[in-house]
Amino acid sequence: MTLLIGATTIGLILALLAMGVYLSFRIFNFPDITADGSITLGAAVTAILISNHVDPGLATLAGFAGGVLAGMTTGLLHTKFKINGLLSGILVMTALYSVNLHVMGKSNVPLLNETTLATQAENLGMKWLHVAADSDLNVFGWTVGLRDAATLVAMLLLVGFLGMLLYLFFRTNLGTAMRATGDNPQMIRALGVSVDFIIILGLALSNGLIALSGSLLAQYQGFADVQMGIGMVVWGLASVIIGEALVGSSRIGLLITGAVIGSVLFRLLVAIALRWGLNPNDLKLITAGFVFVALVAPAFLRKLKPAATAKPSEA
Amino acid sequence: MLTIANITKTFNPGTPNEVRALRDVSLRLEAGSFLLIIGTNGSGKSTLLNAVAGTFLPDLGTLTLAGQNITRWAEHRRAKLIGRVFQNPFSGTAPNMSIAENLAMAARRGQPRGLGWALNHKLKAELRDRIRSLNMGLENRIDNAIGSLSGGQRQALTLLMASWLKPELLLLDEHTAALDPKSADQVIRLTHDIIQRDKLTTLMVTHSMQQAVHLGDRIVMMHRGQVLHDLQGAERARVRPEDLLKRFDDVRRREQLDSTVAEMLQRNYV
Repeated sequence: MTLLIGATTIGLILALLAMGVYLSFRIFNFPDITADGSITLGAAVTAILISNHVDPGLATLAGFAGGVLAGMTTGLLHTKFKINGLLSGILVMTALYSVNLHVMGKSNVPLLNETTLATQAENLGMKWLHVAADSDLNVFGWTVGLRDAATLVAMLLLVGFLGMLLYLFFRTNLGTAMRATGDNPQMIRALGVSVDFIIILGLALSNGLIALSGSLLAQYQGFADVQMGIGMVVWGLASVIIGEALVGSSRIGLLITGAVIGSVLFRLLVAIALRWGLNPNDLKLITAGFVFVALVAPAFLRKLKPAATAKPSEA
Repeated sequence: MLTIANITKTFNPGTPNEVRALRDVSLRLEAGSFLLIIGTNGSGKSTLLNAVAGTFLPDLGTLTLAGQNITRWAEHRRAKLIGRVFQNPFSGTAPNMSIAENLAMAARRGQPRGLGWALNHKLKAELRDRIRSLNMGLENRIDNAIGSLSGGQRQALTLLMASWLKPELLLLDEHTAALDPKSADQVIRLTHDIIQRDKLTTLMVTHSMQQAVHLGDRIVMMHRGQVLHDLQGAERARVRPEDLLKRFDDVRRREQLDSTVAEMLQRNYV
């Protein structure tokens, strides 16, 4: 049970990563690799601030701000200096590796005895439920650690809130302009929107969400590590693709929900696979293989169908 | 009022692909006038429109619109003054967004976009009214994605979007060329109605001599990046499609003469 709750909580934390990846990959069609660096940046900034006894809420916000700056840098490289989008991301990601080492001062910052958002959630749980620390709860017959339960509920609320906020943003004037920028840049430029500005803003938002995910992950698992970002873009993309397959719709609200569910589901699948004896070293290989299949399968299936059944709108 | 003064543009200068797309083009368009630009392929008519829209910056010359020097303005900044309809029906709308959302974005052309709701009941009611005036039955489908509509319907909507906030200048770049004849007719009638109703200053590029003769109050014929003929007033009123075709023939004959002379010179002297 603890395993499932842990996997779900990490899945929810990484749902923010999935939302960020959804924003850059799906809304803008921009393959933004910055994520690998910005998720670590979020973790690093938060960890170093918390270990210096800054309020965990503030430290988390600072982590988010770090991601915003990283995303803006990628956006500037791409729009102002006309560097290919993929390369802009790679440059910033590579530079962030050194930045993250400088921020942390070493390759790993432990948070085991610090006050984090996770311990604050536990304290709130203690207060509301009138139980002692480290006690176990009985939820529908299952025994659950208070800390695990409290973090899960807190993450559920936070991710739900941020997902809703993102959905509402996409229905504002600025948000619709952002979606149109990805859909048809020529059209939105002709309507007076600076495509460059929107791309910078979008990447800032996307990497902000991703850094927030890293910040929460560091607090949950109790450390920040300079290597923790490797392969995270692919991870987020896998979540987005699972979500799309699940909701099977192009409505924004459903797609955001799908990304969250996809992230949790993917994490659960991984946890179960590891329990069954999957070698952890193979995890990234399998994740990459999964995304490859998910990207290729739709076109392959379409080819298998006779041409006559193809929809004319897709021609 | 639009003033195009001595606009020159060379693409890929100094390379084998050098194209002198616009050569010292000057035109003055009075407020409320409707100018049609015709010309052979590669004559620079669409390039001139793009120069005004700001797709690229000219090498030389100045552009003045509504009393402001817009020569160095970026494309999105000019959009505050200019409404555009493109040749490709896919260019003017965002296919994966709804009809309502597309129109809502056009209703804020050139204005700052903040965190207010893109759509509200008042705006939806208004845009349903305006869409009803197209007589295409689209007013009940405003929540459908625009990508599901036909080229003609999309061009009609793009026209509605470009003119939603009355622009200082309307640019139409062969906006019926990619449509079937029936849709093209419908869009042309709509174009005529909207321009008449709002008295819009318009620059329209067309391939169709019929459109050139039946629309607008002035015809400019371009060739090799220059203005070859400028028909206004009584001369414009007399002109028939055959006259325009004859002028095209003249151009072609002169072109052939050019190449035969070049050949002859080459034979004799090189």
